[in-house]
Amino acid sequence: MVNWSVQLQDLGCIYGPNDHASADETGPLFGTNVSETYDSVVACWDVNLHASPGEALGVIGESGSGKSTVMRCIAGDQKPTKGDLRLVSVEGGQRNIFEMDDSARRALRIDQLAVVYQDPSEGLDLKISAGGNIAERLTAAGWRNFKDIRDRATELLHRTEVPLNRMDDPVQTFSGGMRQRVQLAKALANKPPVLILDEPTTGLDASVAAGVLDLIRGLLDETGIAAVVVSHDFNVVEMLTRRCMVMHHGRTVEVGLTDQLLEDPQHPYSQKLVAAARG
Amino acid sequence: MTIKDVISVQRNRNQIMDEHTKREIRRAVLTAVAVPGYQVPFGSREMPVSRGWGSGGLQITVAVVGKESVLKVYDQGEDGGVNAANLRRLIRNSEGVKTTTDARKADVIQTRHRVPEDELQENQILVLQVPVPEPLREVERDMNELRRMHAEADYAKIWVSLYEDIVHNGVVMKTTGYPCLIDGRYIIATTPIPRWDVPKLHQAPFLALYGAGREKRIYAVPPYTDVEPLTFDDVPFQVEEVNAVCRSCGCSGMKTDGGEAGYLVELPQQDGSSQWVCSDTDWCNRQLNTYLPEDQDFKAGELW
Amino acid sequence: MGYVSARGGFEAIQAAEELVKRKRVESGSSWLEIDQIVERLQYSVDRVMGEGGLWDEKLAAFAFRQAEGDLIEAAHLLRSHKSTLPRLGYTEVTHVNQIDVLRRIVPAFREPPGPQLLGKTLDYSGRLLEELDEDKARTEAVEASAKRHDNQQVKAEIATNDHDKPRVPGRLLDVLRSMDAVVERRSGADPEPVDISRTPARPGAPRSSLLSTMARAETGALVQLWYRNILGPDNNINEVTLGEVRHGRLPIIVPHPYTDEPVKVGDVRITEVEAIEDLDRSDEDRGRFDVGYGICFGHNERKAIAMANLDVALTREPEGSWLEQSLLMTTDGLDSSGFLEHLKLPHYVTFRSMMERKIATRKAVLDRDKKGEAITSHHALEEKV
Repeated sequence: MVNWSVQLQDLGCIYGPNDHASADETGPLFGTNVSETYDSVVACWDVNLHASPGEALGVIGESGSGKSTVMRCIAGDQKPTKGDLRLVSVEGGQRNIFEMDDSARRALRIDQLAVVYQDPSEGLDLKISAGGNIAERLTAAGWRNFKDIRDRATELLHRTEVPLNRMDDPVQTFSGGMRQRVQLAKALANKPPVLILDEPTTGLDASVAAGVLDLIRGLLDETGIAAVVVSHDFNVVEMLTRRCMVMHHGRTVEVGLTDQLLEDPQHPYSQKLVAAARG
Repeated sequence: MTIKDVISVQRNRNQIMDEHTKREIRRAVLTAVAVPGYQVPFGSREMPVSRGWGSGGLQITVAVVGKESVLKVYDQGEDGGVNAANLRRLIRNSEGVKTTTDARKADVIQTRHRVPEDELQENQILVLQVPVPEPLREVERDMNELRRMHAEADYAKIWVSLYEDIVHNGVVMKTTGYPCLIDGRYIIATTPIPRWDVPKLHQAPFLALYGAGREKRIYAVPPYTDVEPLTFDDVPFQVEEVNAVCRSCGCSGMKTDGGEAGYLVELPQQDGSSQWVCSDTDWCNRQLNTYLPEDQDFKAGELW
Repeated sequence: MGYVSARGGFEAIQAAEELVKRKRVESGSSWLEIDQIVERLQYSVDRVMGEGGLWDEKLAAFAFRQAEGDLIEAAHLLRSHKSTLPRLGYTEVTHVNQIDVLRRIVPAFREPPGPQLLGKTLDYSGRLLEELDEDKARTEAVEASAKRHDNQQVKAEIATNDHDKPRVPGRLLDVLRSMDAVVERRSGADPEPVDISRTPARPGAPRSSLLSTMARAETGALVQLWYRNILGPDNNINEVTLGEVRHGRLPIIVPHPYTDEPVKVGDVRITEVEAIEDLDRSDEDRGRFDVGYGICFGHNERKAIAMANLDVALTREPEGSWLEQSLLMTTDGLDSSGFLEHLKLPHYVTFRSMMERKIATRKAVLDRDKKGEAITSHHALEEKV
């Protein structure tokens, strides 16, 4: 009986010729992701994480840290070079998700694992209505009653503070912040146990971002979902997560409770990041 | 035997398809019947009728009929239609079948866009002409993605289009060729038959074969198979009804009336009013108890 | 009674056919001979064979005449005729290096190995409409025809260059290969080519399917697709220089039914083109060129050039690309024009159904506006907020 909802072990992802030996000449000690000898980029290596129900884990790093690659591997948008990913909702956590075929992984995205992308157009069909985007998830899960679908979409959009009189408008007429809210509503449509958020407020105006963050925090509390929040922004991680990990040049350099890490970072790179954020 | 011998074998000059090809098409048909609703690619041959004019239906019909078969060919419900007459003639000259306009008496019925008002029986085959076999065409254009959607039964996009229809228009706006789920697995385009005809397909005793010559696909619905038009549980499937009667036989344009009802088409009059008449001409004729000898091509009257 | 769609029964078809027959047979001008069409309307005959996918100049001329000059109709006649013919066998593989050229140009080099042979072409003549003295021309033609009957030897082709050089020139591609200037595409494998008349070509199809599709595609459609690819609003940019442009004869060789020895039973005339593509994308070998290939029946340079360009363009795109889908699904002349013209068939059953939906939605919207609420949503929104 495991106590996590999602567990990732030993994730590695190499772009280019994927000789595992290239990992030996990359990472924070070498100051680079690039392997000269093998002409490859070790986007991430030896990454482990887990999140339990009701818990949010932060993954912090700057661009090139590998955090986006980690996110995409878990989401299924990117194939890893090595690694083991499990969801407790899939065969009690006995199955390595990375070994599943593409269509099985796609099926997971209906109600086992949801993703909120930095760019809402990646997670939404802009040409259809806000309600329609949610209906897409519901019908994929087998909902066949129009009233039920409409009610659930209404409920979700209400919860994510999208004005209901815009429910039938095509999403491309929405502002960035509003699109993000619709993306959230859609992600939660089938009550997935695990949610990945990738830079959820990057690109939004500060006031809009604050509202979305508040919303996400409320949702995480309410739903008991296990979340992985990927961000370069310490404020986001501080607001949403209880634990976090810092990534640099594709490796994890520090893991700890978010509060403690922010107050007293141990690794030199974490110290730099925290200083920059606070400074 | 020399090559000259082979070439000089007396061929029926009117034969439009050689025997080997017929076998190939029958094999494709069998695959289609074995996997209801799956679009089977086949080596569609060029026929004496143009692509888009029934070349697919024609190939299936020619492949499945025998000399003793009784054939009906009709278009929009009319046996007297010019294209139907042309097809009928081609098949008769090529295969030597007998022809009829009475759907009850035909072994094979090739149809463009209608299902007979008569209830067909177990030993009958309905061959439907298909202009565009892809039911998801309106929601997806990329062929690789379409293939994946069918393979994974990922039909969410078309359900969303139904949702959007209702939300924006109050009703599902799909007209003819309504998408139907076959045997709970594949969605098909029911060719452009009116919604009026769709309920006749569900658990029907006859075999339905769908031929798309231009797109080179064949699909099939075997007898006694579930054919369910896509709609939400709480949104009834609506057929084309009209509160009028056929000006010829008097049957009703409302299925819900009880009594005989047929799919009626509109004849706008000079004075702005409309009259209505059955689309299925032979059935309508029989409602009148006027009956034509079977071996005669239906003679078109002025407005028939 | 006016013309009401395509209704009217069997008698109507017969009447229509009678009209066609009458015009074809009984109009006032002289009978149009098959050899006149083959000789004097060569480009039409070649195009009909190319799009019909059948080499037979006489049959193509018959079809062209029967179709009264409609090229697509004529191609259709050839193709449906082909559907009735039994397959007797297959030729031996013929390498295109066996071509006996009638015309050969190489734009990429001033003096390629082997001759440039301008051959018969209209390319460099002034496009000035000649109003001939009809009587004089007619007389000359009669005299020439009589002379040919007397002299059974085939006349030599009019060469504008070196007559005594060999007619089987080397290939520019070989020259480029010797310079290591082209990407190596030969894998050594020799897969069986796909017969697209038996196996429909769909995205992801092997190159032989793509080439066959182009070889019998409609000339205008291929040219348009090429033009759009080069200059249209889609993102592809392909710039080619032509290597070989050839028109010539290829032998048809079959195994003898008794001795199994290869025997030549005739020739086909083809046009073939090699197009040299400048590779310039970041994931390509920018130090080299790539080469596309086009070939079709008869003398049709427009088509072969477009085909060669599209061949290399397709190679550079991922499998199942937009370009590949467009090619496979929209360039066949019979498919496209047949489908277009099918709109002339009666569509009143479908039209009635559309009309019914229009009435239904107007009514639904009216009902909704009357009640002032969102369509079929049973929850008053105020309750939720």
